[in-house]
Amino acid sequence: MAATREIVTDRRDEFAFHDDIVYLAETKRGLTRETVEEISRFKNEPDWMLQVRLRAYEHFLSRPMPQWGGDLNQIDFDKIVYYRKPSEREEKSWDDVPEQIKATFERLGIPEAERKFLAGVGAQYDSEVVYHSVKEELSKIGVVFMGTDQALIEYPEIFRKYFGTVVPPEDNKFAALNSAVWSGGSFVYVPKGVEVPLPLQAYFRINGENTGQFERTLIVVDEGAKVHYIEGCTAPIYATDSLHVAVVEVIALPGSQVRYTTIQNWSNDVYNLVTKRAHAHKNARVEWIDANTGSRLTMKYPAIYLRGEGATADIISVAVAGKGQHQDTGAKAVHLAPNTRSRIVSKSVSKDGGRATYRGQLKVSPGATDVVASVRCDALMLDDMSRSDTYPYIDIQEDDTTMTHEATVGKVSAEQVFYLMSRGLTENEATNLIVQGFLEVFTKELPMEYAIEFNRLVKLEMEGSLG
Amino acid sequence: MTLTRPPRAPRRAPTDLTFSLDEALVESFAAAEPDWLAADRRAALALFGSLPTEANQLYTPYIDLRSADLGDVRAYSEPAGAPDPGVAPSAVPEGAAGFADFAEDRVGALIVDDAARAAGVTVDTLGGLIARDPETARRLLTDAASLPSDDRLAQLTRAGWNQGAVVHVPDRVRLDRPIVIRWSAGVAGRALLTRTLVELGDGAAASIVEEFGPSEAAGAAAGGHPQAQALFTSSCEVRLGSGAELAIASIQDFGPEQVVFQHRRAVVGEGSNLHWALAQLGGRLVRSRVDNRLEGDRSSVEQVEIVFGANDQLHDLTSYTRHIGRDTTGNLLSKGVLLDAARTYLKGMITIEKSAVGTDSFLGEFGMNLSRKARSVAIPSLEIDQPDCRRAAHSSSVGPIDESQLFYLETRGIPPDEARKFIVLGFLEPVVARVPLEAERDRLRGLLEAKWDAGTGAAAA
Repeated sequence: MAATREIVTDRRDEFAFHDDIVYLAETKRGLTRETVEEISRFKNEPDWMLQVRLRAYEHFLSRPMPQWGGDLNQIDFDKIVYYRKPSEREEKSWDDVPEQIKATFERLGIPEAERKFLAGVGAQYDSEVVYHSVKEELSKIGVVFMGTDQALIEYPEIFRKYFGTVVPPEDNKFAALNSAVWSGGSFVYVPKGVEVPLPLQAYFRINGENTGQFERTLIVVDEGAKVHYIEGCTAPIYATDSLHVAVVEVIALPGSQVRYTTIQNWSNDVYNLVTKRAHAHKNARVEWIDANTGSRLTMKYPAIYLRGEGATADIISVAVAGKGQHQDTGAKAVHLAPNTRSRIVSKSVSKDGGRATYRGQLKVSPGATDVVASVRCDALMLDDMSRSDTYPYIDIQEDDTTMTHEATVGKVSAEQVFYLMSRGLTENEATNLIVQGFLEVFTKELPMEYAIEFNRLVKLEMEGSLG
Repeated sequence: MTLTRPPRAPRRAPTDLTFSLDEALVESFAAAEPDWLAADRRAALALFGSLPTEANQLYTPYIDLRSADLGDVRAYSEPAGAPDPGVAPSAVPEGAAGFADFAEDRVGALIVDDAARAAGVTVDTLGGLIARDPETARRLLTDAASLPSDDRLAQLTRAGWNQGAVVHVPDRVRLDRPIVIRWSAGVAGRALLTRTLVELGDGAAASIVEEFGPSEAAGAAAGGHPQAQALFTSSCEVRLGSGAELAIASIQDFGPEQVVFQHRRAVVGEGSNLHWALAQLGGRLVRSRVDNRLEGDRSSVEQVEIVFGANDQLHDLTSYTRHIGRDTTGNLLSKGVLLDAARTYLKGMITIEKSAVGTDSFLGEFGMNLSRKARSVAIPSLEIDQPDCRRAAHSSSVGPIDESQLFYLETRGIPPDEARKFIVLGFLEPVVARVPLEAERDRLRGLLEAKWDAGTGAAAA
């Protein structure tokens, strides 16, 4: 039992810190046309990207705030710094990374992780990729894994061909905001027929009060290729509100396989408003494995557009909403082609007055014949201060679709807790174990280190309920 | 005089309602009514002017009033308050304890049989009740079971209602035969805006059959030619005391040019049980909303709803079930069968309030799309503030006719076309089985079968 108790101790301090970083360049607070132009100038971007940014900026201004989902009224767009550059250039090796930033990453365990088995690391510190290494064997097989800014310069053709094609700037207000001020994020290109043997992973962090982080990730997987991309997040805890508005675009070309795993633990003041979408072409397979803990409000609905015949979508979405948190998450599967399959599994836990919302869409468009789709969402409520909502949208426009949807909401069974306590566990440990079992459909899809880390995060969240 | 065609109207937004309620008409009703009622109409008219057509943010992407072309439709201004004494009343359906018959702006019958009358059961027009017992009318028209104040279309009915029915069953009176309320409408260019109020006292029991169909006048005027649209709105505002039992079966089979807005709202008291069986077949555009408020401890609602859509019909059906008392039970089932380019939007919300410990709530939405042009939308939602429940779940599925069922029937010697018909009618049977009068059950079966034959006949041609 001693080992279990050790894990349950609150190790949050290790993840909650703030180093004093000297920012070499940053924009003024607030968003104006000049801010957007300044960001583009800082980055020496080609003119077409500046035009995209300006178009997106205009759209952001004209688009009303969404009136559904979470409460977005506390966001003050004028108080946010839209771009910060912590060091002048992309660092080529670990030794060149400034000491202060390195110290931060040490605490996050990045070098260790790299020693273990990482295929590559794109670490984002505030708004710029400062550290990036791609293992040589990946370069040899032609895999590109680098910061998105760098990719814009080095791989202009692929970049321009795919950027904004999955999530256009006009998609929603926050996609427009990201398109206007984006900076950092990861770019992945996997050439035809290449299977990346190990997961690619990037750590993202928000540092600095009121710093917005607007990363942009673009993943292009060519025909018959295969890749697993992992992002994990930790962030320092601050009193005022932070904003994280990201866009992730995934293009899975015919016959390819992409898995995108997210474990997220934003600090409790962050607004996390993310547009994640993938296009699955003929016979491609796309999987979103998505966990949301932390943040004040998360609105994120990983989407897969099944554009080619025989494409498959698999989305597993997990959310834990604690005190003062609202996880408005879910999934979307849009069937646009015949013989496509989708499966959505969502699990949410709410406690201490937290609110967990599943919001999903399943759409079968005219022409998408012989679709098979399933949606399952289960919610666990740990106390009666909390709230759980389920809003699935199911829109079927074909006659031979087979669609099933199930949703249940319940509490931790007193019998189960009693049984585990009779075996010597404390009530808290018993509840932990039951919650972990409830979320196992997600955990078992993770690489082992991540599964351990995720279980630890859940325990930290559960621990908080005692205080 | 030469007729000039007016310029084509600009493309409308899906939320635009073309019907306008004439303020002078509302004032003309108000002028003859008690002050509180006049004030109620005016307040509703103001809300009708200011509310959004769909108040629920969840459902705004799924509203489409574009097929309602009501710009020239006018509400009846001089409805009858009682049956015309010079005309023989319509025949009472066999086995009914009471009968109210409304055809366009006339009242065809208002009858309660002797046994029911002796027990104190009353069936009135709403105008009749206001004249006879204004205090009761005031209570019924303004309490928590009356039309929802956040709903624009409900306020349309509240402001402009020009006909109404009231059923009252006193405490401990258990009526073993149903009351039939028949609404016939559809004359082109006319709007009939109606309210139905139902109150059951403590320990009372009753069943009601609501019929909605085309009027003779509408059928005669149509003469098989395409015609202008008509508007029909209705409410069913139900109050159940404690330990009461009410079953309401509704069969809606209006003509193809009828636009229908319906609101049903029930407040269910302690230990009371409410059963809805709702069949939607007719109409061009039907927008319906049901609110069930389970206020009393151990109260329950069972709601079974079927839609059979064809051609370009749109059935837009919402149901809200709110659990408030302890140990309440909600069991909701919606089923849709779609032919041609028909659409259904099945939107359901279960809300479990903090006070509703021990809730058991289920919502099922099942669709059968039988045409590639059909569209079925299901939004079964849950909002839960109290986890201490027996069950809180929903389930939904859409699929074609089950091949294995078809195969089984064929092995029993039933031709494929017949087998398909059996399977579809069987899918819709749950509502038919809940209609209390045998004649009404047979009529509904006949309507469903005729619609199937017409739909598949057209498809074969």
